[in-house]
Amino acid sequence: MRERALNKWLIGAPPLLYLVVFFAIPTLIMVAASFRYAGDFGGLAPVFERSEDGGTTLNLTLENYQRFFSDALYAQLFLKSFGYAVLTTVFCLLIGYPLAMLIARSPKRHRDLLVLLVILPFWSNFLIRVYAWMIILGPQSVFVAAFNSLIGLAGLQPMRLLFTPFAVVVGLVYVHLPFMVLPLYANLEKHDPALLDAAQDLGASAWQRFWRVTFPLSLPGVFAGGALVFIPAFGIFAIPDILGGTTGIMIGNVIKQQFLDTRDWPFGSVLSMILTLTAIALAAATAWYARRERALA
Amino acid sequence: MKRRSLWLWAAAVLAYVFLYAPLVIVVVYSFNDSRLNAQWVGFTLDWYRKLFADEEMLTAARNSLVIGLVASIVSTALGTMAGYAMYRYKLRLLPILVVAPIAIPEILMGVSLLIFFVGINLTLGLISITLAHIAFCIGFVAIVVRSRLAGMDESLVEAARDLGATPWGAFRLITLPLIMPGVIAGALMAFTLSIDDFVVTYFTAGADALTLPLKIYTMVKISVTPEVNAVSTLLMLLTLALIVVASRLAPGALRGR
Amino acid sequence: MKKLLCLLWLLSLPALAKDDVLHLYNWNDYIAPETLARFEKACSCKVQQTYFSDNEEMMAKLAAGARGYDVIVPTSNYIQAMAKQGWLQPLDHGAVPNLKNVLPTYLNTEFDPGNKYSAPYAMSITLIGYNEQKIKELGVPVESWATIFDPKILEKIKGRVTVLDSQSELMAAALKYLGYSVNDRDPKHWQQAKEAILKAKPYWAAFNASSYIRELSAGNIWVVHGYSNDIYQADQGAQKAGMKFRIRHALPKEGAVLALDTMVIAKGAPRPDLAQQFINFMLEGRNSADLTNMIGSGNPNRDALQYIKPEIKQIAAIFPDEQTSKKLEMLKDMTPAQRRLLNRIWTEIKAK
Repeated sequence: MRERALNKWLIGAPPLLYLVVFFAIPTLIMVAASFRYAGDFGGLAPVFERSEDGGTTLNLTLENYQRFFSDALYAQLFLKSFGYAVLTTVFCLLIGYPLAMLIARSPKRHRDLLVLLVILPFWSNFLIRVYAWMIILGPQSVFVAAFNSLIGLAGLQPMRLLFTPFAVVVGLVYVHLPFMVLPLYANLEKHDPALLDAAQDLGASAWQRFWRVTFPLSLPGVFAGGALVFIPAFGIFAIPDILGGTTGIMIGNVIKQQFLDTRDWPFGSVLSMILTLTAIALAAATAWYARRERALA
Repeated sequence: MKRRSLWLWAAAVLAYVFLYAPLVIVVVYSFNDSRLNAQWVGFTLDWYRKLFADEEMLTAARNSLVIGLVASIVSTALGTMAGYAMYRYKLRLLPILVVAPIAIPEILMGVSLLIFFVGINLTLGLISITLAHIAFCIGFVAIVVRSRLAGMDESLVEAARDLGATPWGAFRLITLPLIMPGVIAGALMAFTLSIDDFVVTYFTAGADALTLPLKIYTMVKISVTPEVNAVSTLLMLLTLALIVVASRLAPGALRGR
Repeated sequence: MKKLLCLLWLLSLPALAKDDVLHLYNWNDYIAPETLARFEKACSCKVQQTYFSDNEEMMAKLAAGARGYDVIVPTSNYIQAMAKQGWLQPLDHGAVPNLKNVLPTYLNTEFDPGNKYSAPYAMSITLIGYNEQKIKELGVPVESWATIFDPKILEKIKGRVTVLDSQSELMAAALKYLGYSVNDRDPKHWQQAKEAILKAKPYWAAFNASSYIRELSAGNIWVVHGYSNDIYQADQGAQKAGMKFRIRHALPKEGAVLALDTMVIAKGAPRPDLAQQFINFMLEGRNSADLTNMIGSGNPNRDALQYIKPEIKQIAAIFPDEQTSKKLEMLKDMTPAQRRLLNRIWTEIKAK
């Protein structure tokens, strides 16, 4: 028992300490900021204010939170971002799952290379990749021309693909795909082929083998990948900025503006807190649901 | 028995095409004899020549690689420990601290870390950037490792313990090899996150440090010249070379056992 | 373990060579490499540049406590905010005699009376840039802000227009379109401006502050709301790429925003002496002209005129005459309440 407790501390303490010092404490500074006033020219107003008669007042307020809860606009944007993030996660799953499965089932000597090939594009630069999408989806693109002639055959008007919500989703999915594929692969790789053999011997079709053996076993990977895609996608701002045109603003953009253009750090903190807490709550709910499913299975 | 499903193959190939389409453009245009990244004009190696004469760019690339290596190594170590601890023990604080950096908007994290570093009088530079990167990379590694551990067969570990292995021995000889693909996957993600990070790096870099994303962001306005494509291409190749070398030193790490 | 220590040591190397270095915190691509090289020779020192692409980025970093900069290049309307928060140290006019080279119009402005903190560096005007060929073809008028706000005109160029992704700049343009001053703070007028923007938004391709230059040069976008030096560079880019069209400036008759960028010295600068030297150096005609020749920026330096390429001097939008100058206004800083209201309007505009 004592050994177990000691191990728990030995293993858990270093990351815990690191995160407390370099994450929790800095973040708490900004959490505290959500209760303060914005400085006249930027930054934060001092916590203690000296008045003329020499007394000090505590300069804290709940008005930043009140502003958020009294204004439907921000809740609207949260929901919109939530929608984009869900879409992104779903598409990442649809595209990433077959990829991860193929890699996991490849001969051992190929797996390293195939995994590397998945992540290699992401060692170029983020902006360059996104600008490349501007070219692919742009008005002078071969791909767009082909697409438009195809839908022209169906009698539809040529569409513009760039600067649309479609472009935003494409960008979001692209940027987050490896974070779905790698966790999925890490999970699928350890599946015992013998299980599938047994299922086949019992007469299960390919689809049944997948749906009733592989997929349930891969659920921890699905949830891990889902979390690593959904959570960052929820708060991102760069993709809507570059690919979204006049639409596609997400809550991440609004938060960025609070820290920059508006110089309203307290309100930016409030929005960030709510974003983070929502994401954590969703992650916790999913984890709880996953545990429950496993317990029942 | 090998299952070859045509659907699976087709879907995976399409996925690779999706992944590489923008990349093809990036690489091809790095040889484009035109300042604009719009149309193909002609083949040239000029941009690569310019790149090697651009001291600032090269320094930025070196900085990014060094920070990326250190940040991914440290965050993988800490993240694996965190993932294992979350799997093994009932913890309340650590899971939150692990997930939160992924959820928190980068700009908040950047500003708060800057305030913190200034408050503790840490010189802003490569070290402050690295410390910041580690903070948000730990979570990615931890979540992947934890999911890899889920459903692990404890009987192997128990058997090892019964045969007299210490807890560390059992971990090193049984658990670690089993979760290695998860650890490596986490490390790859951490490295990727680090060399591509902009927002947090922007705030925690001081007046001296320049990383590649920071440098490239500055070039974004004046029509991203193909010099940036060239550095992107080279960065990819260099990283690939590093990984290939590393994998020769630790063969089969990604495949697990 | 040893490898880790080795790496950490490698990381700390850049920190060692710190002594004769001038830390310049500047806009992207806002100083010519030749000028820097010339200064490095003249002072026998190194210049270490870090960059920002928006005044607000710089403000946010300084507000969070970032230090280590010697010279910063803010736009003039930010000087007050920076000074009031104690981030600046005064210019030593004795060490910067070249201040006399600056045209009197740009000295002693309301943003920095007596040039206590700042020396003018370069200027830009926010106006309309357009693809000459396309505009002639379609017969689109470009003398007024109506080009980007009037749906009747926009109909001809739908999806080929971008505007700046800046709440202050776009609001200023809309206010000018409606006949108000760019510094008009009346909430009613702001609502009117919002309506004008929302009416025009469906015709715009994007809110774009960076890649619009490339899109102009490539011929994908035909009309932009942008900065005069960006539009000049778009034209250069198009010519270099062998495009058959030119990109031209159009200064709307209602007036436009003028931005005067200045050099200031940060409080707590590691090398204030080098900073003064640098500022004085940049106020020399030849050095000041380098930037104009490189990016087509406006130049407040009288002495620089002789070194500037004649074709740039001819561009009215970069060197406006007396008449036009009267219509240009500089944006003033806002109070927190005004900023908040503007951002709310901006968020609404973007969310619809």
